[in-house]
Amino acid sequence: MSAPVDTAADGGLMRVSSDKISRLMDLVGELSLSVSETVQSPDLAGLTLTNFDAAVHRLNMIVREVQDAATELRLVPVDDVFRRLRRMVRELERQTGKQIEMEVEGGDTAIDKLVADRLYDPLLHVVRNSADHGLEGPEERRASGKSEQGRIILSAAQIGSEVRITVADDGRGLSREKILRKAREKGFFGPDEEPDPAVLWKVIFEPGFSTAEQVSNLSGRGVGMDVLNATMTALRGRIGVESAAGQGTRVALHIPVSLAFLDCIILRLGHQLFAIPIDVVSEIAKPRPEDIVGISADTGSEMFRLRGAFVPVCRLDDFYDTPMRDAAATPDGVLVVVNTTSGPIAVPVNEILDRQQVVMKPLVGRLARVRASFGCALLGTGEVALVLDCERLAAGVAGGAA
Amino acid sequence: MANDTADATLTRPDGQPLREADNVDEMYLTFALGAEEYGVNISGVTEIVGMQRIMSIPDVPSYIKGVINLRGKVIPLMDVRLRFGMPERAYDERTVIIVMDVGEAPVGLIVDGVSEVLEIPPSQVDRHGQFGRSSTRSVIAGIGRIGDRVAVLLDTSVLVADGDINLPADIAA
Repeated sequence: MSAPVDTAADGGLMRVSSDKISRLMDLVGELSLSVSETVQSPDLAGLTLTNFDAAVHRLNMIVREVQDAATELRLVPVDDVFRRLRRMVRELERQTGKQIEMEVEGGDTAIDKLVADRLYDPLLHVVRNSADHGLEGPEERRASGKSEQGRIILSAAQIGSEVRITVADDGRGLSREKILRKAREKGFFGPDEEPDPAVLWKVIFEPGFSTAEQVSNLSGRGVGMDVLNATMTALRGRIGVESAAGQGTRVALHIPVSLAFLDCIILRLGHQLFAIPIDVVSEIAKPRPEDIVGISADTGSEMFRLRGAFVPVCRLDDFYDTPMRDAAATPDGVLVVVNTTSGPIAVPVNEILDRQQVVMKPLVGRLARVRASFGCALLGTGEVALVLDCERLAAGVAGGAA
Repeated sequence: MANDTADATLTRPDGQPLREADNVDEMYLTFALGAEEYGVNISGVTEIVGMQRIMSIPDVPSYIKGVINLRGKVIPLMDVRLRFGMPERAYDERTVIIVMDVGEAPVGLIVDGVSEVLEIPPSQVDRHGQFGRSSTRSVIAGIGRIGDRVAVLLDTSVLVADGDINLPADIAA
């Protein structure tokens, strides 16, 4: 509080250490917990509290606003990262003798500072790879009818609660032949296997995989892509690669906007609370018993009939192999249908409790092994719900949940 | 009563608060599991709280009873009885949670009750390393002698991580 802060310069912007903001976030969390403890105090039971209730309502609204405002403090434009990459590209031009034009789209997309800080290194590797291996030299480009100047397009856009960052180049594209040969050598695929392009491209992110025939001082030594892979796992993001021979390569990173908070619906299954990010929920259905079809031929899997289509049912007790009690007692209360890249799945729960902005806490220590989860959500009531990663949930269903 | 324990600050056996000069490495918080007495080094202990509402979490070993929300921190709780394969016992007003930081991550140990903070100099600790049959590091750091009593001193990093090391992921889950 007493630290002098210079507000005059920089058009009213202040530099604040991220530690202080984290501390504020923690305090806001404690504040909302204390408020709900006070409001729900057993000492108040049986009292008529007309004015008190009105004040509580206002207090809760203010706490919510403080929570939102504190979270926003941590959002920064992704351009902060892009600018550093731009400098790097100029350096690359000098080192490779290639002419590179770098374009940036969506630089004002907001992203959690904690994410932004960790994004530079992996993005740097992708950009270096594009510049070093993807883009051809001026002569080669002229020969193949392209402009001498190679292009790298960095773009960012928010899609739901995710930010998608893409690095696209108009270079020679990935070589199926080279990558497949190398992947077979390293034992990623059998000698006769012909993987789909999207599957094959992803091996370049596998630890120890690098096709750089000549190790240059730019594109690491087979460690670059590992960094990308490890960081994306830590940030709970996904990677996608597209490539067309002679036309270029596009690497897309999907990352949650904020590691700290998420708009979720809160579900109860037995005595267990779960949260699902609101933007993956496509609908909520109350099934009649005949809408759920069991398929014993397929190890007892179930399908939910939704307007003529069949949606695989993912039972959380089965997935986690943890009985969650009274789940079986009532016939499925509600089905939450969620969209995933492997198609929709239906998740049966006993009831839907609420929709709220939850404070996300990463799963650390003993909890790091919990599957198909982004983290723990702290609810306004002080309770804790597990935030489901429906992508991984669906992958488990598709792969015959172990 | 749980509240009394919750608010108790760490004190020396003689009731004096810890002094700066005390060697934290030789200080142990002792607790009871049935008739046995155990100890953990106090350097990792952040606080002791009474039993509170536990929210269960799927996909964890059965000795992880769930999590508590401790002022905005999500803390997984390990029932140390179950961890050691001892019979489960209903929690009562003496049951407490020892909140620790082990390798940067918080964990709460559910024990029958805390006893005291003792200074056990290395000369009073037997470290034969013969406990347990496996070749991996033992969860038992040593046996401390306090007069005619003994306390089994635990290596908390093994206590917390052991299941992860010895059990294949699919069994541990």
